Amino acid sequence: MSGSGRGAGSALRVEGLRAGYGKITVLWDVDLHVDEGELVTIIGANGAGKTTLLRAISGLVPVRAGSVTAFGARRLAGLSPARIVRSQVGHVPEGRQLFPLMTVRENLESGAEYLPHARASAARNREFVYGLFPRLAERAPQLAGTLSGGERQMLAIGRALMSDPKLLLVDEPSLGLAPALVRTVFAALQEIRARGVTVVLVEQNVQQSLRISDRAYVLENGEVVKAGSGAALLGDPEVRAAYLSM
Amino acid sequence: MDLSLLPQALVSGVLASGLYALVSVGLALAIGVIGIVNFAHGEFFMVGAFLAYQLFVSFGFDPLLSLLIVAPALAVIGGVIYLSTIRFVLKAPELNQMLLTFGVGIILQNLALVIWGGDPRSIANVPYRSIGYQLGGVSVGMVPLGSFVISVALVAALYWTLARTPLGRAMRAVAQNRVGAGLVGLEVNRVYLVAFALSALLAGMGGVMIAVIQSPTPTVGLAFTLKAFAIVVLAGLGNVRGIVGASLLVAVAESIVATMVPGGDALRNAVFFAIIFLVLIWRSRKVA
Repeated sequence: MSGSGRGAGSALRVEGLRAGYGKITVLWDVDLHVDEGELVTIIGANGAGKTTLLRAISGLVPVRAGSVTAFGARRLAGLSPARIVRSQVGHVPEGRQLFPLMTVRENLESGAEYLPHARASAARNREFVYGLFPRLAERAPQLAGTLSGGERQMLAIGRALMSDPKLLLVDEPSLGLAPALVRTVFAALQEIRARGVTVVLVEQNVQQSLRISDRAYVLENGEVVKAGSGAALLGDPEVRAAYLSM
Repeated sequence: MDLSLLPQALVSGVLASGLYALVSVGLALAIGVIGIVNFAHGEFFMVGAFLAYQLFVSFGFDPLLSLLIVAPALAVIGGVIYLSTIRFVLKAPELNQMLLTFGVGIILQNLALVIWGGDPRSIANVPYRSIGYQLGGVSVGMVPLGSFVISVALVAALYWTLARTPLGRAMRAVAQNRVGAGLVGLEVNRVYLVAFALSALLAGMGGVMIAVIQSPTPTVGLAFTLKAFAIVVLAGLGNVRGIVGASLLVAVAESIVATMVPGGDALRNAVFFAIIFLVLIWRSRKVA
């Protein structure tokens, strides 16, 4: 991972983004920006378009209008997921999308194997991943399909880190996990950010995610309706009423 | 039933299983990696047979040499068919995919009929076709033995490729999770293309061998398509070792009936599919 530190420039700029599935448009003219080294969270209700936003950035959903730019110059819209990950934009997707009949080690190595820039730093990144999630080192020879939900989440994050991302998109990492594992995953995200990797997090666990975020966006019906620092949004009465049941 | 023929039947069955396994792993590759049910698979086998035949009659090429020409030719033909047809139906309903591949198969078959006619064609004049070995009471022809050795070598090479090489890992990754494969930097459509070309190549190499073993007609492909499907279903998808085992089972059973039962040669195909039916019924009961 080769992030260049906080505040060094733009890591991600999304302008007028429209995306959807078939005849349905999910995102309507979404604008957002993320600076290098930031941890930015996207919150919103089910169906607000959070996952679609990450999928559009990483090329899994075609962009219908607007632009997505990474690191100031690299235009991502229209590129395949494989080319986007070559631009050092990693994605920990919804559902983890692991290779169930490969071992934990093979899953991790696959994150670097097809990317020349990542192969060079594979040993260093593997060491970081095993330090972050020692459980993965213990489970290295085990098939990914036999892991628990928490271990799968760790592996999905680990595999994305092996691609040596400067920008990491993380979709609902706490979904379905026990509270202790949620704390592990959130601590890992902070550590990843501390290494200089910019993180864009989509999360339903609003309180915990806003606490660790520099900034956050609130998405409703495919549009950005609010933005601000994590602390400010935690104190926002509308956010508290809508997402924190307060 | 003459039990003294059993050793001969077993050996003939084992030798025939190599070709079944070769054609079946190619089909399993297309189904497993791309998710396409390819009814044209046997026609790649037929094209391989007739290309080898043509190379033999036009240039006197030995079939062993033809393997080196037919293999890349079939990979190119498979690749062109993938790019011009298959890739457009990858997200279509399975029925549409099946109809498309069935149509591709019919076109290939009819092209072969136009070019070579409907008569059986054979590469009969190779010197080793008449060579055989006598081991105890069992006779082993050089051609079936050679076909078995080459088939086993190709299946082993595919197994090794899938297990040990970056290309094999890429194909396994795409087969197991297409979304995940894209996110680790694999151009999924390129992997599909390679897998389909490789699938056609394997079938085509099997075809070269059948042109020496039998006297195929342009309709030889359909029977092999159906048999390969049956073997893949029996073995389970993505299971090369299972395909080898299933090929052995059906080829030996087929051979035993054809060799030992009076008039059994006519029952060859019936035995083949009867075994498949029985296994499927047994499996569905286990699931229920």
